[in-house]
Amino acid sequence: MMTEADYYALFEAYSHGELAGPARANLEARLAADPALALRYADFSEMTDTLRGYGQRQQARQQLRGIHAAMLAADAPEEITLPATGLTHTVHPMLRISRTERRLREFWNGHRATVGVAASVAIMAVFATLLGLDLWKTSHLPVPASYQALRRDINSLKKNQKVLNNTIQRIDGSVTPLAPVRKFSGTGFALTSEGYIVTSYHVIQGGDSLLIEGRNHQRYHAEPVYSDIKHDLAILRITDKKFTGFGRLPYAVKSGQADLGERVFTLGYPREDVVYGEGSLSARSGFEGDTAFYQVSIPVNPGNSGGPLMDERGNLIGVVSGRQNDAQSAAFATKSSYLVRLVDSLEAAKPANPYRLPRFGQLAGTGRPQQLKKLQDYVFVVKVFE
Amino acid sequence: MSRGNPTSSSLTPTDDALIAAIRGGDERALAHLYRLHWPMVSHFVLQNSGTEDDAQDVYQEGVMVFYEKVRDGSLELSCQIKTYLYAVCRRLWLKRLTSKSRFGVRLLDDEEHGPYLNTGAEEDVLAAEEQDRRFATMSEALDHLGEPCRSLLEGFYLLDKSMQDLTAEFGYTNADNAKNQKYKCLVRLKKLFFAHYKEEPI
Repeated sequence: MMTEADYYALFEAYSHGELAGPARANLEARLAADPALALRYADFSEMTDTLRGYGQRQQARQQLRGIHAAMLAADAPEEITLPATGLTHTVHPMLRISRTERRLREFWNGHRATVGVAASVAIMAVFATLLGLDLWKTSHLPVPASYQALRRDINSLKKNQKVLNNTIQRIDGSVTPLAPVRKFSGTGFALTSEGYIVTSYHVIQGGDSLLIEGRNHQRYHAEPVYSDIKHDLAILRITDKKFTGFGRLPYAVKSGQADLGERVFTLGYPREDVVYGEGSLSARSGFEGDTAFYQVSIPVNPGNSGGPLMDERGNLIGVVSGRQNDAQSAAFATKSSYLVRLVDSLEAAKPANPYRLPRFGQLAGTGRPQQLKKLQDYVFVVKVFE
Repeated sequence: MSRGNPTSSSLTPTDDALIAAIRGGDERALAHLYRLHWPMVSHFVLQNSGTEDDAQDVYQEGVMVFYEKVRDGSLELSCQIKTYLYAVCRRLWLKRLTSKSRFGVRLLDDEEHGPYLNTGAEEDVLAAEEQDRRFATMSEALDHLGEPCRSLLEGFYLLDKSMQDLTAEFGYTNADNAKNQKYKCLVRLKKLFFAHYKEEPI
């Protein structure tokens, strides 16, 4: 009985061609006749082949590694001179990249696209934020707490109550509620006889519908033509078809500056009726030294905004704009020179309706009641609906 | 049709000469071939988010596939060696990338290396993988074999030492003893090898 090892000896001799003629023929015959033996031989040859192949592959791999190293060495001859620094081992040329750098490179190669997208998103976010902040800032100009713009918030209390009542009614299940309408008012005055009206910008700010109401209850619809946010000025135009014109304006617009101490007065609508206010020009600069404004000592109230500031001879010298809360009787008015400049710049753009500023006043020399009588026809309530 | 004898039509004479020289065991020819196509593969791998090391691994693997086929004489080349190597390395690198990446992989190809499809590289790579698996199992079996069987078999089959040298090295009294020992070792190796190799499906 042959052991498996004996068979292997036989197989090896056979595959090396060391078997003599009769023995070989004998084995071949047995291989052909006995499938178990054939399988055993197949296993043997597969195993020895694999072993040899494995050895060959290891050799070949070694060889290729050698070739690669030689190639790198040939490519980078200057690296070979490194051992002169006293190192006892040979320096592999691949080592010239530090481990950190290699890791960084791998990271960069793997995440290049992601990093790019992230960076662009970040940049866009930053710019969007900056832009948004900027827009927000310009739309919500920080008004110092002590400065009060004088537009009048009409009946907001009443309205609120109405809304409340509406809500209660709605709970009762009856009528549909009215949309709450906020209403502001200020003062405005005629700029030209063709229907241009001046008021303060903050009066019409945020409004979407403007109504001009005169002393004898004529009403006109108006639209904003131009706003000068910086100097708190707005120019409106009456849009009604039936409007024919104001006739000749009794006052002139002063293009120069008024003097300190001049007696000044204003007309305005801080309540339903027109109210006269008097004082003197107390400074030629406004809140926090703003030279676009005068400071006047006229008691003004919300609703006075946009009212005309007149000097003794009845010339328009400014537009009432606001007051300082923490100072006694300090009101501010935009200088009329800025209004003239604004009109000039609008005129330069050749509008459909030219601006003809009144040049000569008719109020000089008359008494104050006479002046007011003439003036009050040209001073209006500007009602703003949001 | 020109497909009748693709070898002579599309292979450059240097390719033929190179293959002949490599089959003849000329190490300089192999080195020349290796150096010739290394830039192409290295560029390809680096371009497709690989490192220098990855490129080296992939290229050596690819050259190994080529080399073993040349030595077997089983290489049927229907294109240039360059294209064949590119196709093989491309396949290998694609495989590595897909195993590494969670996402689908798209490779950037160098247009100049042309039609890398239908080069037979696909089947060759698959065959090489099968071979790899066999060698890996063999290596594992050898590891489990234990001394002195392992050293004896490695000495004889892997390192091509003669039986006389091994007899002296392992201190057997004569070559026949060593041979008997070797056969016994083979029997044990066979059990280990086939147990592992056959039970591992792909």
